Amino acid sequence: MTRTSIIAALGFALGATLTAPALAAEQAVTDEGVVGKEAVATPHPKQHYSPYAGRSYPTRPFFGDTHLHTALSLDARAFGNTLGPEEAYRFARGEEVVSATGQPAKLSRPLDFLVVADHAEALGTMVEVAKGNPAVMSDPSCKRWHDMMAEGGQTGVRAAIEIIQALSAGKVPKALLDPQLGRSIWENYTAIGEKYNEPGKFTAFLGYEWTSNNKGNNLHRVVIFRDEKSKTDQIMPFSSLDSENPADLWKFLQGYQDRTGGSVLAIAHNGNLSNGRMFALVDFFGNPLTRLYAETRAKWEPLYEVTQIKGDGETHKFLSPNDEFAGYEIWDKANLDMSELKKPEMLQYEYARQGLKIGLRLEKELGTNPYKFGMIGSTDSHTSLATAGEDNFFGKHSGVEPSAGRATHPAAKFGDAVIMGWEMAASGYAAVWATENTREALWDAMKRKETYATTGPRMVVRFFGGWNFEAKNATSGDLAAAGYKDGVPMGGDLKQAPKGKSPTFLVAALKDPIGANLDRIQIVKGWMDAKGDLQEKVYDVAWSDARKPGADGKLPAVGNTADVKTATWSNTIGAAELITAWKDPDFDASLKAFYYVRVIEIPTPRWTCYDAVRFGVKMPPEVPMITQERAYTSPIWYTPAT
Amino acid sequence: MKGLLREPLLHFLLLGAGLFVALDLVGKGSNGDPGRIVVTQGQIEHIAATFARVHERLPDPPELEALIRDHVREEVYVREALALGLDRDDTIIRQRLRQKVEFLSEDVAASVEPTDADLQAYLTAHPETFRVERRFTFSHVYLNPERRRDSLARDATQLLARLKQAGAGADLAALGDPFLLDHEFNRMAASDVVQQFGERFATKLGELPLGEWQGPLESGYGAHLVLVNERTEGRLPALGEVRDSVRREWQNVQRLEANEKFFQGLLDRYTVVVEQERPVHAEGKIAAVKPR
Repeated sequence: MTRTSIIAALGFALGATLTAPALAAEQAVTDEGVVGKEAVATPHPKQHYSPYAGRSYPTRPFFGDTHLHTALSLDARAFGNTLGPEEAYRFARGEEVVSATGQPAKLSRPLDFLVVADHAEALGTMVEVAKGNPAVMSDPSCKRWHDMMAEGGQTGVRAAIEIIQALSAGKVPKALLDPQLGRSIWENYTAIGEKYNEPGKFTAFLGYEWTSNNKGNNLHRVVIFRDEKSKTDQIMPFSSLDSENPADLWKFLQGYQDRTGGSVLAIAHNGNLSNGRMFALVDFFGNPLTRLYAETRAKWEPLYEVTQIKGDGETHKFLSPNDEFAGYEIWDKANLDMSELKKPEMLQYEYARQGLKIGLRLEKELGTNPYKFGMIGSTDSHTSLATAGEDNFFGKHSGVEPSAGRATHPAAKFGDAVIMGWEMAASGYAAVWATENTREALWDAMKRKETYATTGPRMVVRFFGGWNFEAKNATSGDLAAAGYKDGVPMGGDLKQAPKGKSPTFLVAALKDPIGANLDRIQIVKGWMDAKGDLQEKVYDVAWSDARKPGADGKLPAVGNTADVKTATWSNTIGAAELITAWKDPDFDASLKAFYYVRVIEIPTPRWTCYDAVRFGVKMPPEVPMITQERAYTSPIWYTPAT
Repeated sequence: MKGLLREPLLHFLLLGAGLFVALDLVGKGSNGDPGRIVVTQGQIEHIAATFARVHERLPDPPELEALIRDHVREEVYVREALALGLDRDDTIIRQRLRQKVEFLSEDVAASVEPTDADLQAYLTAHPETFRVERRFTFSHVYLNPERRRDSLARDATQLLARLKQAGAGADLAALGDPFLLDHEFNRMAASDVVQQFGERFATKLGELPLGEWQGPLESGYGAHLVLVNERTEGRLPALGEVRDSVRREWQNVQRLEANEKFFQGLLDRYTVVVEQERPVHAEGKIAAVKPR
């Protein structure tokens, strides 16, 4: 096996042969209940003077990355990443670190949480030096070192130095290298997570990635535990070496919960590289889905990672020809290892919006909707650096960290299919409406789907559905109190409509405090019509600059202030905040439907534009230099009584 | 060290359609007679235990048999691969080997427990790292520049006068423009103020007198009239309050130093010659080999 073929084999998470450098009725409910339902029933408790005292619903979103790789991922390492989980956490917490290519890197502001999600494959198996084990202690040097370490402080440091010197001199006691005695990397990995987890300040989740890549089709899932090390250390990560079938992963997750009393969920990503497998009508073996399959998938996979570096997965122009904002940062050339080129008929099973629609039909057929998922974004960066800002993008892997040529070199190539460096998307983050920044509160919010995806900016997005919202709820100044009291938040369910009523929604977005203004808020509706056909429609519901829709009903574009020559823009167009109450004008109480919010920012420079300006290079004409960043919320589903 | 590296440290698994390569230490099985493969009881127990941690149960006899057969197959391939020299010049294998050696020093460094004196010394030397943040209890009323347009300054002045009159009793949600984040914040850390309102607003907030409506203050969202009720100044903590953080930082320093010392110790045993025609760096050869 040549070097290139091993690298090719390894390209599983990066995509193919990588080239240089080597590389209600009235009462609405959710599946998981509504946060603080009792508390919000009296949002303005009489005993408090302050209307805000005693509230128990989330008042701010927390931003993080649920999908980051470090040097512990074999492919990340292969592309030159030398930064481990410690550096990854430090960077996410806002510290400056030196990247694998020697460049100082820092986030514009800290993230609130991080899941280091290294590939399970080979993560659990590596053996390390054992400590304090009786078999080791039979070796006199080991015994002495162990005692010195137990004493701690400077004596311990001396022991460490001695051991290191012994290792350097090749005088390693054999006992130290006995694999039977070793701690697994997994235990070391979870220990690092514990060390950086600071409830209330920064949440370090324990998790990993299950990297199923059958026939080159991406079925990857990130596994996220709610629990601490004492529980996760009772297992070893289930990897694609154990099985590539998602149903087997779900069995493992069930086994984990049964055994430890813990809680775990899984988040799939990159349906765009699954060649029609992500939201398919069949299971792993090609058999039609069953009710059990649907229930199990819905149970373990409440969320979908809808945007990340290897492409945005909301929708594709082919699927949504009437949506002028469809087709954002698309990767649609092939599957993950580029072993099979894309065919148009695959697309319908790859994108989130269509997946949600297919879910409605499957729910009718099977009694359960397998594709009832909320949305988050994450990076899937392999550099240990969770960057999603256009002006601070460190790339997919260490081979494409900032450099003059990274945009114009092929990032992946297989036969006729080429993915150029500039096609990488500087995306995205997960926003979670949790009551506090802890593993438990964030995980619970993920489980109930009270989340949204952003392509990088940290805008605040609210979305509530109910039957009686009015314009005054949107302008009263305390939208959330009304939203939680009389409706359900994003990720929730509306049941059979009261007679003669249409669903009403409170929707609002506030710009990133250091980012660009907002162009518009849209509500995307998907439904199954009376004939069983799947439909979708995008409504503009709030927009900036007092624009008037044209005769065709189309809202004029917001304009552009982005200057490609200087990589700057100004907030002289757009709005800082958009708020409205919206009632579905086309509602049919007998049809299943879902609604989610898409927020669009004004145009800003894309990362390729910052590269061009900072490196003084000219980009080829096909390279997009301006982008309109966005957010996608989890849907609210409407289900009529059968 | 050379001895260590000469050990048949690794094998690789080639799976599915060649999708993944995993490396691991091989047991001691391949030390002796190259034509003899012995699977010891200890290895079998290890195989079974590894299976159990993934599958939540022990393998049944046919499964265990299959695992052992697979282990033997792996061992055969590994030996043949090594005999053919397939491990040499292989980027992945080289990197995995490097990583394993790095783990040795990482793990040793991570095992050292600091004493209180170490931690106190570290805290004293790096007080700002552990400073307890300034906190603010404040209320605000938001004015949306897009709604107010040219009347923003005038509206702000008028509203400020009304707020000063109303004092603490004002119904904030009914005044000003709707705002998605809270109107009142209780003991909010300065870093949270920065996260939610931006740096400029946070700095200004720290300069305001207490108990009096002020403003407008500018944020990334627009203008805010602000009443700071309470400000708790930042301070240097006692060790007991921040022990875990100090320990984490102390250990991180030990880790980095140990790794560097380890590498330097190894490097000292080599003479490095870089036959580069034009040195990229003024310091010549060492620039190419010196770790960062």
